[in-house]
Amino acid sequence: MPAKDQLKPPPKVKAPIEEHKKHADEFLAREEYKKPKDGELAVSDEAKP
Amino acid sequence: MAVMRHRKGVDPHNEHGWPPSPAEIRNRIGACGGTNLPENDLAVQHLYGVNMDVRYNVPMATFRSLIISGRGAVVPIWYGVVPAKFDASPGFRGGHGVYVNERRASDGAYLVYDPLADHRRASIPQGPQWWPASLLQKAAETYPGTRAGCVHASFTRDTEV
Repeated sequence: MPAKDQLKPPPKVKAPIEEHKKHADEFLAREEYKKPKDGELAVSDEAKP
Repeated sequence: MAVMRHRKGVDPHNEHGWPPSPAEIRNRIGACGGTNLPENDLAVQHLYGVNMDVRYNVPMATFRSLIISGRGAVVPIWYGVVPAKFDASPGFRGGHGVYVNERRASDGAYLVYDPLADHRRASIPQGPQWWPASLLQKAAETYPGTRAGCVHASFTRDTEV
């Protein structure tokens, strides 16, 4: 049987900031999110005082 | 707030007022009632030279990456799901816009600037509040036209570069 500590999953590694930036830049370049489709362009309402 | 973030507080020194004023933006749009993201984007382009990136149905994980990597965002939300602790307009249950400035790594909460949070009464919160990510997602995805797990958003430029 493997030792107990060998059964533990590896610690989660947070994505470095460069990966978030890469993901962000790639997403912003995609055309399909730039224009609203039917029903996506709602307006805000007037809040009550 | 988004214009200030985008410009890092730098006055464009044009014929319009500074700092940015909601009244001037609404006046530019010609709005008596509600506005939407592209209308606001066009207005701030004209007034302050700020070109926001407007995107629709952004998956929440992507939204998180955009905020973590150095952008702020205006997010339309449905106010009817905002709990009392963060509710700056009791009784209001319509569409509204908030500004998200940053995400806190320790618990994933977002720093949300609600323009209604002006402490005009004792029960009304004042200034930015840390909203749990689950609340921001729920309020954003409940906004009409938004898919589950997504947000509409208007992003500032990356100010961390």
